[in-house]
Amino acid sequence: MASYSLATLWYERQRYVPGVLAVAFSALLIALQCGLLLGLFSITSIPIDHTQADVWMGASEVLSVDLGRPIPESTLARLGVQPEVKCCEIYMQGFAFWSKPKGGSELCMVIGSCLSRDSLGKIDKLTPEQCGMLAEEGAVIIDESDAKRLDVKLGETAYISGQQVRVVSMTRGLPSLAGPYVLCSIPTARKRLPMQKGQTTTYVLGRCRDPQDAPKVVERLNHSYKDVSAFTQSVFSRRTQLHWLLKTKAGIALGYAAALGLLVGAVVTWQTLYAATVASMREYAVLRALGIPRWRIAGMVVSQSFWIGIIGIALALPAAYGSAWAVDRMMGIHISLPWWLLNSAAAVTLGMALVSGLFALYSLRQIEPAMLLR
Amino acid sequence: MIDDSLLMPALQGVHLSRSFGQGEMKTTVIHDVSIELFSGQITLLMGPSGSGKSTLLAILSGLLRPDSGRVMALGHDLWSLSDLERERFRLRHCGFIFQGYNLFNALTARQQLEMVVRWGEGASARDARRRADEMLALLGLAKKSHLRPTELSGGEKQRVAIGRALIKEPNFCFADEPTSALDWKAGQQVIELLRSAAHDRGATVLVVAHDARIIEHVDRVVHMEDGRLWIQEERKPVLQPVKQAR
Repeated sequence: MASYSLATLWYERQRYVPGVLAVAFSALLIALQCGLLLGLFSITSIPIDHTQADVWMGASEVLSVDLGRPIPESTLARLGVQPEVKCCEIYMQGFAFWSKPKGGSELCMVIGSCLSRDSLGKIDKLTPEQCGMLAEEGAVIIDESDAKRLDVKLGETAYISGQQVRVVSMTRGLPSLAGPYVLCSIPTARKRLPMQKGQTTTYVLGRCRDPQDAPKVVERLNHSYKDVSAFTQSVFSRRTQLHWLLKTKAGIALGYAAALGLLVGAVVTWQTLYAATVASMREYAVLRALGIPRWRIAGMVVSQSFWIGIIGIALALPAAYGSAWAVDRMMGIHISLPWWLLNSAAAVTLGMALVSGLFALYSLRQIEPAMLLR
Repeated sequence: MIDDSLLMPALQGVHLSRSFGQGEMKTTVIHDVSIELFSGQITLLMGPSGSGKSTLLAILSGLLRPDSGRVMALGHDLWSLSDLERERFRLRHCGFIFQGYNLFNALTARQQLEMVVRWGEGASARDARRRADEMLALLGLAKKSHLRPTELSGGEKQRVAIGRALIKEPNFCFADEPTSALDWKAGQQVIELLRSAAHDRGATVLVVAHDARIIEHVDRVVHMEDGRLWIQEERKPVLQPVKQAR
């Protein structure tokens, strides 16, 4: 059956091109929409994903890494006494207003971390030289893509929460969603983050001797202390992304667009198969006259829909990679296409093609061999 | 002395009637028609357009249910069978050839025949190919088995259609205007193949056609007009034994 279906698809390819392109379009749209979503919201968890901590401790029920509230620095001891934890340190992160040199202000995300070589909270994109520069009070590093937004150049000064800062270096690959990341030392951050008063910090980070012990440590901490929350790195990263996904409802918007794309693909594929089946009505009627069971003919239609799905997906995959590369290159927007996302998009699209084939079977009901004798 | 059992009809239509439409638009196409067809004999059903020939063929072949009457085929009352049983009967015993060849454009001549035995009988790919090649050789199309319908002449396409009908060695072969789209030379070849199916393979062949030139190539001629059978000309007596049902 597969060989007859493929032979028909190839020989009459012009007839089936709309269906194939519809499937490819659907698969591409789903992959890119979801990839855009993943890429976009992976930005929100950069402070988690690009640091080296296995365990994060923050305020109770903290929803996202950028929504941390002050916790006592003494929380450090709670983490430090865990037998599995090798080392721990404080980490500060919070929103503040960046006053531009020429007027106006911009919301930014201040991140203050230890800057030693083995620091857990240091962003991995910082070089040792850059870390050395940040030792200066008021020294900050921003991503070069945010320079225009913050209206500042390398070496220039600005103000955060009324405290002067100086841009000592710039980095790359640190896009932000809510506000530009401003990297600095702990003392610099403490003075610029208004809510950090006294001996407080935003988070306490820990590293386990064996990273696989992190879940066990987290469970123990959450069981022992109710005024703080502990997470593993992966869990906190996912929690942060999910919060942004649901809070902004961007996921719903993009999901709606993807669903519409799927619907369009389904309708076009269904119509293509329906028209192709109707065009071969007399041939199928002869087979029915000869006693060939209806399910055999139905199988051929469904087989055709399967191969249309496969060919469409095969076209969509390289197109997805190409599109993601082009968007990243030209617009600096990262579209994340992990294997599980592509597999899911392919599975959904293939399912859509098969369902279209099932709908096209309705035309088989019109096949009556006696019509050949009229 | 002829054995009476040899004269048993393989296919018998008894008091068949069929109408189309309802109320004032109702048209009776078949009026109380009875007919007998014999194994090993090729019968020509002739008549003007609208006389009911194709309708009678459809009823006798199990494609169109009559309003009244019976069709007995190989001991089965065809129209008392369920749809599935009738479909299986056609699968095992019936071959069809239509005026339009109705071949799949994308498939080669070989594939057109293979499909019937693979889908109908569940034959393996190898067995289907062997049988298709044998049939195509019989039809003089051995060298054209790889060609698609657009690469074949009208006569060759009809021969492929005949091959598709005969590859499963049916007891009955029904042909509706098999030569009308062909020139006479090609049409003669087609009729000869149908004759061979009847005389050499013992099939019961019923041909519906307008063409009077076919008369001298068949064993029996039945005239039909206004839904009634008028004249039956026996050109050759029935001497072939009734082919036993498989």
